[in-house]
Amino acid sequence: MPVAASAVYFLNLRGDVLINRMYRDDVGGNMVDAFRTNIMQSKELGTCPVRQIGGCSFLYMRISNVYIVIVVSSNANAACAFKFVVEAVALFKSYFGGAFDEDAIRNNFVLIYELLDEIMDFGYPQNLSPEILKLYITQEGVGSPFSSKPQDIRTPANATLQVTGAVGWRREGLVYKKNEVFLDIVESVNLLMSQKGTTLQCDVTGKILMKCFLSGMPDLKLGLNDKIGLEKEAEAKARPSRSGKTIELDDVTFHQCVNLTRFNTEKTVSFVPPDGEFELMKYRITDGINLPFRVLPSIKELGRTRMEVNVKVKSVFGARMFALGVVVKVPVPKHTAKANFQVTSGRAKYNAALDCLVWKVRKFPGQTELTMSAEVELISTMEEKKSWTRPPIQMEFQVPMFTASGLRVRFLKVWEKSGYNTVEWVRYITKAGSYEIRC
Amino acid sequence: MNADNRKGELVELKNQLRQLAGSRAPGVEDVKRELYKKVISYMTIGIDVSSLFGEMVMCSATSDLVLKKMCYLYVGNYARGHPDLALLTINFLQKDCHDEDPMIRGLALRSLCSLRVMNLVEYLVGPLHAGLKDSNGYVRTVAAMGVLKLYHISPSSCTDNDFPATLKTQLLQDSDAQVVANCLCALQEIYLAEASRSDGSLKDRDSLYTTSVIYLLINRIKDFSEWAQCLVLDVVSKYVSSNPEESFKMMDILEDRLQHANSAVVLATIKVFLHLTLSMADIHQQVYERIKAPLLTLVSSGSVEQSYAVISHLHLLVLRAPTVFASEYKHFYCRYSDPSYVKKLKLEMLTAIANESNTYEIVTELCEYAANVDVAIARESIRAVGKIALQQYDVNAIVDRLLQFLEMEKDYVTAETLVLVKDLLRKYPQWSHDCIAVVGNVSSKNVTEPKAKAALVWMLGEYAYDMLDAPYVLEGFVENWAEEESAEVRLELLTAVTKIFFKRPPESIKMLGAALAAGLADAHQDVHDRALLYYRLLQQGVEIAERVVNPPKQAVSVFADTQSSEIRDRIFDEFNSLAVVYQEPSYMFLDKEHRGPIELTEDTGILPMDSKLSDDVLPSQHVEANDNDLLLSASEREESRGGVGNGSYAYSGPDLSGFDTPSPAAPSNNASLSSTSHTSPAIDDLLGLTFPAAPVPTSPSLKLKPKPLLDPATFQRKWSQLTIASTLDHTLSQPAALPSPQPLLRHMQAHSIECMASGGQAPKFKFFFFAQVADSPPSTGFFLVEFVVNTSSGISQAKVKADNADLVTAFGNLFVSTLRKFGSS
Repeated sequence: MPVAASAVYFLNLRGDVLINRMYRDDVGGNMVDAFRTNIMQSKELGTCPVRQIGGCSFLYMRISNVYIVIVVSSNANAACAFKFVVEAVALFKSYFGGAFDEDAIRNNFVLIYELLDEIMDFGYPQNLSPEILKLYITQEGVGSPFSSKPQDIRTPANATLQVTGAVGWRREGLVYKKNEVFLDIVESVNLLMSQKGTTLQCDVTGKILMKCFLSGMPDLKLGLNDKIGLEKEAEAKARPSRSGKTIELDDVTFHQCVNLTRFNTEKTVSFVPPDGEFELMKYRITDGINLPFRVLPSIKELGRTRMEVNVKVKSVFGARMFALGVVVKVPVPKHTAKANFQVTSGRAKYNAALDCLVWKVRKFPGQTELTMSAEVELISTMEEKKSWTRPPIQMEFQVPMFTASGLRVRFLKVWEKSGYNTVEWVRYITKAGSYEIRC
Repeated sequence: MNADNRKGELVELKNQLRQLAGSRAPGVEDVKRELYKKVISYMTIGIDVSSLFGEMVMCSATSDLVLKKMCYLYVGNYARGHPDLALLTINFLQKDCHDEDPMIRGLALRSLCSLRVMNLVEYLVGPLHAGLKDSNGYVRTVAAMGVLKLYHISPSSCTDNDFPATLKTQLLQDSDAQVVANCLCALQEIYLAEASRSDGSLKDRDSLYTTSVIYLLINRIKDFSEWAQCLVLDVVSKYVSSNPEESFKMMDILEDRLQHANSAVVLATIKVFLHLTLSMADIHQQVYERIKAPLLTLVSSGSVEQSYAVISHLHLLVLRAPTVFASEYKHFYCRYSDPSYVKKLKLEMLTAIANESNTYEIVTELCEYAANVDVAIARESIRAVGKIALQQYDVNAIVDRLLQFLEMEKDYVTAETLVLVKDLLRKYPQWSHDCIAVVGNVSSKNVTEPKAKAALVWMLGEYAYDMLDAPYVLEGFVENWAEEESAEVRLELLTAVTKIFFKRPPESIKMLGAALAAGLADAHQDVHDRALLYYRLLQQGVEIAERVVNPPKQAVSVFADTQSSEIRDRIFDEFNSLAVVYQEPSYMFLDKEHRGPIELTEDTGILPMDSKLSDDVLPSQHVEANDNDLLLSASEREESRGGVGNGSYAYSGPDLSGFDTPSPAAPSNNASLSSTSHTSPAIDDLLGLTFPAAPVPTSPSLKLKPKPLLDPATFQRKWSQLTIASTLDHTLSQPAALPSPQPLLRHMQAHSIECMASGGQAPKFKFFFFAQVADSPPSTGFFLVEFVVNTSSGISQAKVKADNADLVTAFGNLFVSTLRKFGSS
């Protein structure tokens, strides 16, 4: 049984009910109270997103300043329930145009009720595709208040067919003056490095995001420099694959529009894209990762009231590239009084709320080495022996036009029966996922 | 004040709505919308706006779709409480069911089915039939779900109208995939409920899992939405394939589902694969290899909650096939930012997959966590290190690491480590020399946790020869007997002191006397019993006692697993559900009788539906539920018994007479054990002098009013308002004396405890009693008791609620003593 949600609640951080939609009668009406008293107001909050109280299970997520709670009384599918919440929030966002928070919910609660009615029936998820729902739930967000005329629900004759229909993600008859495709490869690097500088764990999770403004029913074909795809191609053309880096993808998942059968037989990614923005594929890579930054920390405790922190950060990507928004967070003990800094670039300060020295460099060129050194003064405390457990140094950054995996787009072909020309835009960016260096 | 305000607002809303009802002025719809929005927002925050029902319905004759939807929402919410008024809405809903726009038809049909009013069922059947045959797919999806809703309102009118059969045909023939999915949903639920309603046969349900249906679903899998795919795959996983070829074919078709972006779809596919290959061991193993990569990807993508759901499943699979995942151990390293519930699962997985090749690295990593800020995780990781050691990989290095923990001098680290060292020594006595040297350095002052203390005490007793100051450390513990709160430590202390006495008698004889005396005077039943046992054994002779208390030990080879493999298999059968997340089979958390002690209804002060006070026989199932609660919460019961039944220790009094006569066996003991003859009298002396009388519970005297009066309504009101002040457990001495409830009722009545209601069937009965404090005003000073008794076992439980909470203990004692008298009279 997928979900069979008995009720869905939206609550703000104080526990006020923002949305309350009952789907089934098998739970009492006091479920919100139960959630408030047994989860929100107890220490249990945040200890586990699935909790059981008196035979009912509460699956909850916090998204910005809102809790979304699904109550089930059966042995439901947790993965499905969470995915449902995530998708539903994405749907609401596409309706409000951006933020999903308490205010947005309060301003659009009628719309949310309307959507909740469509996306779930008797606790079972139905259709959550924004493309299709927007055909018949036409209420706009607060931006433009209700027009008193009933909306033209009956517009395309096949609209209702698509409500439930087969090619759920695209509607026919789209026309654009300028046919454009935007493709972004976004990678986040996860790193866990020991204090000795050995890599404990490292992987890249990447996604390919697309924005399509194409007329008609186009067929797209995407070629990457991944190993399997290249080998397959070489095999087909009966010539050895070109030299150059090939990437081995550990695992790939695709948007539902991708023809998986063709991927498995021909190893090409071919698809009829949805209109607008969507996530084409996700992948994970563990081998042959180019780390964009090396971090060499040295932290010395000098006596009981002083510490010397020295952090060297080296960028190891191409000299003509640069990283943006680099932040290095070096944890210090709670009883830090102040810190004096010397930096070769950027700005550093002590953030008492985070118990961290925060060093920010707005623009970090490739193949350079920057250092921050700090003298930290500690308040002398009576507690002896309480040795300080050092949390890892954390780093944030964005490196445009760089992929840690080395993945590149080899071609992106658009084919449509009317044979129009398209403009394709490809971008790359690598971000820090959880980039941790123990010290 | 606030309430008045609100009332005023409601009245105003009502008037405004009434004025608008008939109006056709331009712009009136906009005004209506604003008013409706207000009503809905009140409804959301829980204000009862049902008084506006009539007006809302009157205003709903509109062509505005948004207004309609708001009105339907409102009606759906309140129709159940106002069936008469709901009738008003039937008319326009039915009319909308014939609208030319399929959207409106669907909407109206859905709302019609959501009214949930029993006596409107007749109006549902027609539109549902029409809906299922509608030319538009949207309407049919709504209708399929509508059938399920109808079934929940009135099973008989659903089956009498042959709806399940219609759905079945629709399932096989409908062109729209979502309709098929909804039919499947509805049929599954209906068949399951039907089976439990009638003869329990799952014949109907199994007809869904036949080759023809399954093939149809698999072949259309790509037509379904991702949510419907989850459902379909779940159904497919229940299919038993007839031969390996068929299984391979099915897996071929479904394999690309493993690349789906929706984690629920991937998990559902994994379930299908695992179940299809259960009987083919080598293929099953290959499936594990195949699903490894997709699972690890899912773990690192999506929100924390999503990855938690996936990790729970990964955890289950890792425990089932640790070798497959052994090479991936680095994926289970904890991130600093991981929430602790994820860290905990990762630690358990690291423990499970440790083998010769990766143990060193895993243990090194785990040792990092021991210094973690999160104390719970630090503890967990130390335990993990210990568990790996017990798996016999690289014990040498691990023992060194553990001993290093002791040098970290953090209380919780020391505590956990001590417990582990104890277990290790039980399994590998050969390490005693290294361990004891370090354990000897641990200052007993730094050990505060009961478990750690008990472990330390055990080691002191066991390795008394190796630790020079063992007797003196133990002596310190014995001196602080009175301050030692944990019975576990006191029990361990008794054993350790006795054992050390066998090994180093001259240094410990005094201490033994003191410990036994303190043990005999102990209020805890087990401690008392153990002291008594040792004392009598010693009277029989030191050698005999030693044979019993300190026999040569065999090293423990395998520590018992906490979860049986049978339970794990059951969880595995329920892959991709909450059972995996909770790590217990679904019957443990879904069946009423297995639920934990908290009942929601009691928390929020509402009387459970099935315990409504009436003279009818109460459903025996509920009684059963309470009985099982009893069994589950054994530890709680122990505590409450300690509080209530202090008097029960009194029986030990007469037993003491045996102490005065020294055992004749003692002098005949081996002469070489010169200490024997000295010790026995010494102990006797000690005991004879210091044994205090059993503590008598001092309760304020409580008198009950002879003939209290309370009407059922007041009882019910009080019961729902008050919280449970005390729970009493008692075992009737003569349970057989209770063939029917009457004798007990008369007996209680004779002691001024009246019965409000009773019911149940042998051997389980349930009573509601009440009593009132003497000379209290008419409507106060009441005690309410829910009393459940099993006449075959004699086990009973009473839940007491009271107007005056101060008197609960006194009343509890009185109640139990009254019960005790019942058995004996």
